[in-house]
Amino acid sequence: MRFDALTALVAVSLFVAGCATTERTPPQRLTGNPAEDAPTLLTNGPSRDKVLWQYRTAAAAMHRGQFDEAKRLLDDAILTISGIIGEDAEARKARGYFSPEARKTFIGEPYERVMAYYYRGILYWMDGERDNARACFRSALFEDSDTIDKKYAADYVLLDYLDGLASVKLAGDGSDAFKRAQSAVRISMPGAYDRNANLLLFVDFGPGPTKYAAGRHGEHLMFKQYPCKIRGAQIQLDGKAYQVRAYDDLYFQATTRGGRVMDHILANKATFKDATDIGGDAAILSGVVLAHNRETQPFALGAIGLGIISKIASASTRADADIRSWDNLPLYMSFAHLEVPPGEHAVTVDFLDEGNRVIAGLTKRMTINVPADGSDRVVYVSDKSTTPQNL
Amino acid sequence: MHQRIGLLSVAVSAALLSGCASSGVKNPSGVPVTEMKADERGFVAGTGVESQDLVAVTDKMARGILAVPQVANSPTQARVVLDPVVNETRFPINKDIFLTRIRTQLNSKSAGKVSFLARDRMATLQNERELKRSGQVTSAADPNVVEFKGADYFLTGKLQGLSTRTTAGVSDYVLYSFQLIDARTSDIIWEDAAEIKKQGLEDAAYR
Repeated sequence: MRFDALTALVAVSLFVAGCATTERTPPQRLTGNPAEDAPTLLTNGPSRDKVLWQYRTAAAAMHRGQFDEAKRLLDDAILTISGIIGEDAEARKARGYFSPEARKTFIGEPYERVMAYYYRGILYWMDGERDNARACFRSALFEDSDTIDKKYAADYVLLDYLDGLASVKLAGDGSDAFKRAQSAVRISMPGAYDRNANLLLFVDFGPGPTKYAAGRHGEHLMFKQYPCKIRGAQIQLDGKAYQVRAYDDLYFQATTRGGRVMDHILANKATFKDATDIGGDAAILSGVVLAHNRETQPFALGAIGLGIISKIASASTRADADIRSWDNLPLYMSFAHLEVPPGEHAVTVDFLDEGNRVIAGLTKRMTINVPADGSDRVVYVSDKSTTPQNL
Repeated sequence: MHQRIGLLSVAVSAALLSGCASSGVKNPSGVPVTEMKADERGFVAGTGVESQDLVAVTDKMARGILAVPQVANSPTQARVVLDPVVNETRFPINKDIFLTRIRTQLNSKSAGKVSFLARDRMATLQNERELKRSGQVTSAADPNVVEFKGADYFLTGKLQGLSTRTTAGVSDYVLYSFQLIDARTSDIIWEDAAEIKKQGLEDAAYR
């Protein structure tokens, strides 16, 4: 008879500690350099991290001026993030007590999804597809539209501004989008639309936010801000200098979303983890006390067994938040549009500190060719961009 | 007694294991995307332009164009030029695919009543004509005679959308409108529209 209880304990312990079919990936030879490791991890890494690596690799490709590569990666990532993910087995497991949130397929927090659409929009504009670029900027804003506090919903200045500019360039009316951009201004506001501008410069700079987990069990998703000296950029072209300031701050965007539904689930997991831990302690202690009395000894084993199970359940509960981050995003986003004569131009972009002084070592040089057919030359430059570039 | 304790252990453990951290969360598994009629009241709203929308919309438009009196009763073939569709939705799409499918539908079902002019190939065609005119390549007819045909009609369209995202889900309404414009008079001789509304709710792990 005593064996029955022990058998039950062993069986339950196996259930708890047992391992369902897990995704096995061959050991990877990694260099530690994300740019070098990304192709390996994209091909051989866990499928749940595929979008994460697509994001990172796409941003790195943008920095190197490899826009076709970035396009391919972002298109694939957007296929995943644009769908409605319902009835997903991994997502269901991520909500369960014994799996971490990071088990779900990564699509990123809204600010990361916004940037995927933003970059794709830039690339569409590069290809002359202004309406698809505008569609991307609208989708990006849409990703930010369900904040708890509606004050912070769809409040990217640049996305509304670019929506309006694309409309103006498509012979439409961009005034509503311009007004929305004005109403969202927190840092600075881009100037009035110039319908004749044929050089569009998308500039971003600074280290973007990353995620970390706080709380006793890591159940609180938090965002880390890194120090950034850059406050703006100076574009030199044909002997003239144009200064652009930051229009949007990704850290601000990441931290003004309000809570997630998943935060509620993680809080429940944390409560369960604490409750089973305390309950386990209490049951084991009770069992020890019961074991001292001959009359209650038969109950002691059961109480201790329950306590152990409860402790195992507690230890197996994973309340930690998903902290996988698109870690090569910028902190600030900026933009300029200029009218320049067709032909070849040398462009220099310097990054400026708070006192408008040029920060040494970050200067980017590029040679651009502005088409004569009235289409736009679109330039993307970051403080992480390689230099020089021929566009 | 021990047997009971064993059973109790299993029952408690099963209860622990089957417990759900998602308690208190509405629709934790999410609701799969459901395609709905535009006039149907939905539980929220939708997602992007998909192949079934393309087929439904272009089938409807092709049928509509074939029923236009100026096309159906014309003694001569109606020559149509496709003007790019304007995308005003939030979905980046290959918008030319709409006109391509309407063209293929009309070409296969119009019994020769409609033909399309390859204006998107004009640069290549003009280059070929110049080669013929200069005698660099052979020609079956006099290359100096202008044979490029003018359009009788322009076919174009516009995609417009309304999108909503709340804690209850995502909703997208897309209006697909197409026009056939008389190239001589600028009259819009035919116009039709199709509407599609979709909605869905993501798994709680993504909300």
